[in-house]
Amino acid sequence: MKLFDLSGRKTLDVASPVPFAEWKDSQQGTAISLPQDVEVEELHPYLGSLTLIVLEFPIFRDGRAFTQARSLREYEGYEGEIRASGHLLPDQAIHLRRCGFDSVALSEDANVKDWEEQLGRYQFYYQNTAVSPA
Amino acid sequence: MKRLSRPGEGEILLLTASRLLDGRIVWLGEGDHWHESITGAIRFTYEDAGPALERALAEAGQKEVVSVYEVVARDTQPPEPVTTREAIRAHGPSVHPDFSYDHAPVREKESAL
Amino acid sequence: MTQPASRSVGHYQYEERDRVFLQERINEFEGQVRRRLSGELGEEEFKPLRLMNGVYLQLHAYMLRVAIPYGVLDSRQLHKLADIAAKYDRNYGHFTTRQNIQFNWIALKDVPTILRELAEVDMHAIQTSGNCIRNVTSDEFAGAAKDELMDPRIHAEIVRQWSTLHPEFTFLPRKFKIAISGSPEDRVAARFHDIGLLARPGENGPLFRLFVGGGLGRTPVVGRELFDSVKEEDLIATLEAVLRVYNAFGRRDNLYKARIKILVQTIGLEAFRTAVEEELGRMDCAAYRLTPEHVAQIRARFALPDLKAPADAADVLEQHKKADPAFARWVASNTHPHQDEGHVCAVISLKTPGDIPGDVTVEQMHGLADLSERLSFGEVRVTHLQNLVFGHVRKDQLHELWQGLKALGLAAPNVGLISDIVSCPGLDYCNLANARSLPLAQKLGARFGDAALQAEIGTLSIHMSGCINACGHHHVGNIGLLGVDKRGAETYQILLGGDAGEQAAIGGILGPSFAEDEAVDAVARIVEFYLGQRQKGETFSAMLKRCGLKAFKEVAYETV
Repeated sequence: MKLFDLSGRKTLDVASPVPFAEWKDSQQGTAISLPQDVEVEELHPYLGSLTLIVLEFPIFRDGRAFTQARSLREYEGYEGEIRASGHLLPDQAIHLRRCGFDSVALSEDANVKDWEEQLGRYQFYYQNTAVSPA
Repeated sequence: MKRLSRPGEGEILLLTASRLLDGRIVWLGEGDHWHESITGAIRFTYEDAGPALERALAEAGQKEVVSVYEVVARDTQPPEPVTTREAIRAHGPSVHPDFSYDHAPVREKESAL
Repeated sequence: MTQPASRSVGHYQYEERDRVFLQERINEFEGQVRRRLSGELGEEEFKPLRLMNGVYLQLHAYMLRVAIPYGVLDSRQLHKLADIAAKYDRNYGHFTTRQNIQFNWIALKDVPTILRELAEVDMHAIQTSGNCIRNVTSDEFAGAAKDELMDPRIHAEIVRQWSTLHPEFTFLPRKFKIAISGSPEDRVAARFHDIGLLARPGENGPLFRLFVGGGLGRTPVVGRELFDSVKEEDLIATLEAVLRVYNAFGRRDNLYKARIKILVQTIGLEAFRTAVEEELGRMDCAAYRLTPEHVAQIRARFALPDLKAPADAADVLEQHKKADPAFARWVASNTHPHQDEGHVCAVISLKTPGDIPGDVTVEQMHGLADLSERLSFGEVRVTHLQNLVFGHVRKDQLHELWQGLKALGLAAPNVGLISDIVSCPGLDYCNLANARSLPLAQKLGARFGDAALQAEIGTLSIHMSGCINACGHHHVGNIGLLGVDKRGAETYQILLGGDAGEQAAIGGILGPSFAEDEAVDAVARIVEFYLGQRQKGETFSAMLKRCGLKAFKEVAYETV
């Protein structure tokens, strides 16, 4: 796995994430991973002790994590790192960044150039996003 | 792998696909080439069609075709697809005689690019 | 070719950044095509990306669906569409029920070039397909109709911009369609959209009645009112909230249950409203506030027509009508009252009986563009019933327009009448269809083509779909036809009593399906029955209610 920096906002966390369901029992470490069907409200009491939340994409077409990320930023005020993991396309780089993701976990053979190119593609966007200004 | 359609009495199977570059309908013919005309399509028995389809699917990327599948047709000259859908694919839209694949013989375009 | 109007009316005028944006989008798609051809992207990954750029793989070739936002085109755009049809297609364009135009014979390798040509006239194919927010549709008489409360196009453009490449809502469970109207008479089928907006002026600015969860397809549902009066400043926040609930909770395990209508049905309207209100409660509404300044900015980029007509324009029209009964008949069916006394809206039927509904040739497109420059401020609108509208025609020039249309073979006097048939492309072109729809539409059009007969029958709609996905909106036709595959043979179900407007209703299935010719005969018997039994001024739907489906069924299945 290699990490790709989307936001340039912070040093990427290298901690290994623990599935949230497990982490809740032990509360060991500060990094968790969250499946798409968990509402981020459930994280509310724990957000202060988390530095990395990994949101999973079982397939690139499943866009629930975009809403999870925006909810974490806008509703929960979470300021730690949000990372995307799973089946993703470089074509989604901007969507991820604009919804509040900081990084994406890529496979070793992923073409980073496509991701970089996509990040710099547009000069402006039509929407305000409360998380990451255009 | 999904089950093949089974040809009835006097029927055979053909393999068809859409060409990646322009979306045009093609039929698997001699020498494992994809042709625009159904006339030269290879006729398969039910038994032979399975392995042929598997091979065609495996080579789809390299041959620049998508959506490869089998079609039941009557064993006539040229073969005639059994369903309306496949007949329309073989002959062109029924509402535009001027777009028919039969009247204006379709040129075998060399694979551009 | 005529020079383009310097400032075309009716739609948003692009500024430089909009043009740059289109170029960047085309560059992106070009790269995606390149990656597909190199094998870097497989078909499964490429498909959603090409769909979001309007590219389908259909039965015979790729189909490109070009967006006509809120249905408004200018003449240079129509000329360009004609050029594209001539150069990359087979000299035809096909207008759809969602105010788009489709080209049926496109090669994938040509698409980036075509998109660049479209961008030259500020057009695109962005989000005309895919599981994202689709092209926003609106009322074909917007900014012109006498009965209009408010011009919906400014807000339609705001919604178009907001939805374009929305970072959160580009990978939704399923497609998402928004329509907006500003008329008391619902001309956009607001209750059959994922979100339907009916705009009206309020004391402190526009208000929007918002319907949610309507739609046709496999599970036809009449949309429910979510909010009665959304304030203008809350419009975007409210759309964000609805979409956010849908994106989080819409089903993704079953393609046929993934539309928002199923979510609303499953959890119930009240629970859905509560969820949306909770989102709104937590949202930083200031960040999503639609400010008066922003609205004014967008409004400023719309040019309005300078409506000056001679004082005797109406009299001249009356004289023309008296002198020419064929013209008078066309005026009776093919015009709509305009806000300005000296003008009318003219509807151009793309349903010449016996022809393919919605099809136009290259010559017709060029001809229409020229006529619009001369007679309607270079503006052409596309209706969701697959016709075209010239929004602002001077009454004294209407006869000239009609003559021009006659020369183009586009003067069928049948708008709103029985041969004004709505039809999807069906099995002749579409990969999803079960049966052909165009030949049946052509036969029905020819059967009822006689102008006097149509006038006698009066308002009656026939809608035809080639499969359950209902692109021909068969559920909302007074008479609906649905193509069904019966063991490899094409057959047709008949539905009666649908209505897309204020009296929104879904047609009831009459009974077992018919073979093609039988279906034409059955429709003829149904119409004959209506003619024979209707009371004075009774509409088809009213008589259906009075007599019941069973009476019509007996007639339809009667063997002669």
